[in-house]
Amino acid sequence: MTEQAILESIQEIFRDNFDDDTLVITRDTCADDIEDWDSLEQINLLTAIEKKFQIKFKLADVRGLKDVGDLLDLVKRMVG
Amino acid sequence: MAYTYLITGATSDVGTTLIPRLLEGAPADTLVLAQGCGDLEKLAPLVQKYPGQVRPFDVDLSDRLKVDAFVRLLEQSASAPTHFVHLPALPVVNTRFKNFDEDRFAKDLQIQLNSAIAICRVFVPKMAKVGFGRVLFIQTSYTIGCPPKNTAAYVIAKSAIGGLVKSMAVEYAPRHVTVNCVAPSMMETHFLKDTPDLIVQAAAADNPMGRNATPADVVPAMAFLLSEEAGFITGVTLPITGGSAIV
Repeated sequence: MTEQAILESIQEIFRDNFDDDTLVITRDTCADDIEDWDSLEQINLLTAIEKKFQIKFKLADVRGLKDVGDLLDLVKRMVG
Repeated sequence: MAYTYLITGATSDVGTTLIPRLLEGAPADTLVLAQGCGDLEKLAPLVQKYPGQVRPFDVDLSDRLKVDAFVRLLEQSASAPTHFVHLPALPVVNTRFKNFDEDRFAKDLQIQLNSAIAICRVFVPKMAKVGFGRVLFIQTSYTIGCPPKNTAAYVIAKSAIGGLVKSMAVEYAPRHVTVNCVAPSMMETHFLKDTPDLIVQAAAADNPMGRNATPADVVPAMAFLLSEEAGFITGVTLPITGGSAIV
């Protein structure tokens, strides 16, 4: 799966989660860029991503994520 | 006085932990009327361990007519409950408010709230008449302070339980019937089967004691609130949270 395809899928999850159909994310997007992106929303995003990609995150893996780029790299590693 | 415990949701992890706690060392005429729904096999070890003291009932509490029939059956066939412990609820579903499932919520309210009201309306006045009774609910620490997002259905239903507890507590205090609830933080039981692991792990990591609650943490507090010596405690919501929610 290409990084672009993963990004597009994750963007759909972000749009649904934050109720914003126009939301555009990039590798540099981080919690400071989206007002409602707090620690709980991050867990909700991650569980939606788990469901979408049929993967299971460990808490230790996701606690250090700084931005969408980190998230993309993690998902990319896990989906192979 | 011989105690008769009516426990709804008795097949839950909390229920099957509470029953031996109540029966161990209790007089032989102590009775547990244990309601489950399609899963009475979970009570089998307890039925064997305490012969004649645990009577299982298979009742779908989401069906009002079956609740009414259950109440009538209890009225006719068993000694009136001295204690009522109401545990059942549908598992928490983490979902945004825009996806609120009203049909599921109505079912949950029937199970959590309406069935309890129907049972209490019949048996709490009987407790009042004899001048002794204990009623106990299980709430959640989500109703203490700021609840987590995406748990609206659960928080609303549990908040309604809180209203029921306070209302009955003041009404029946003069007759020595106490009505309380325990409010555990996230408890690792079968109840979490629909909750993503990540949410469970994060709750444990964020708890000041570094873990989630277990039935073994909650049951001793329940046993205390059900005991004779807790007779001056009523209308209380007791947090059992490892410090994650403090009143």
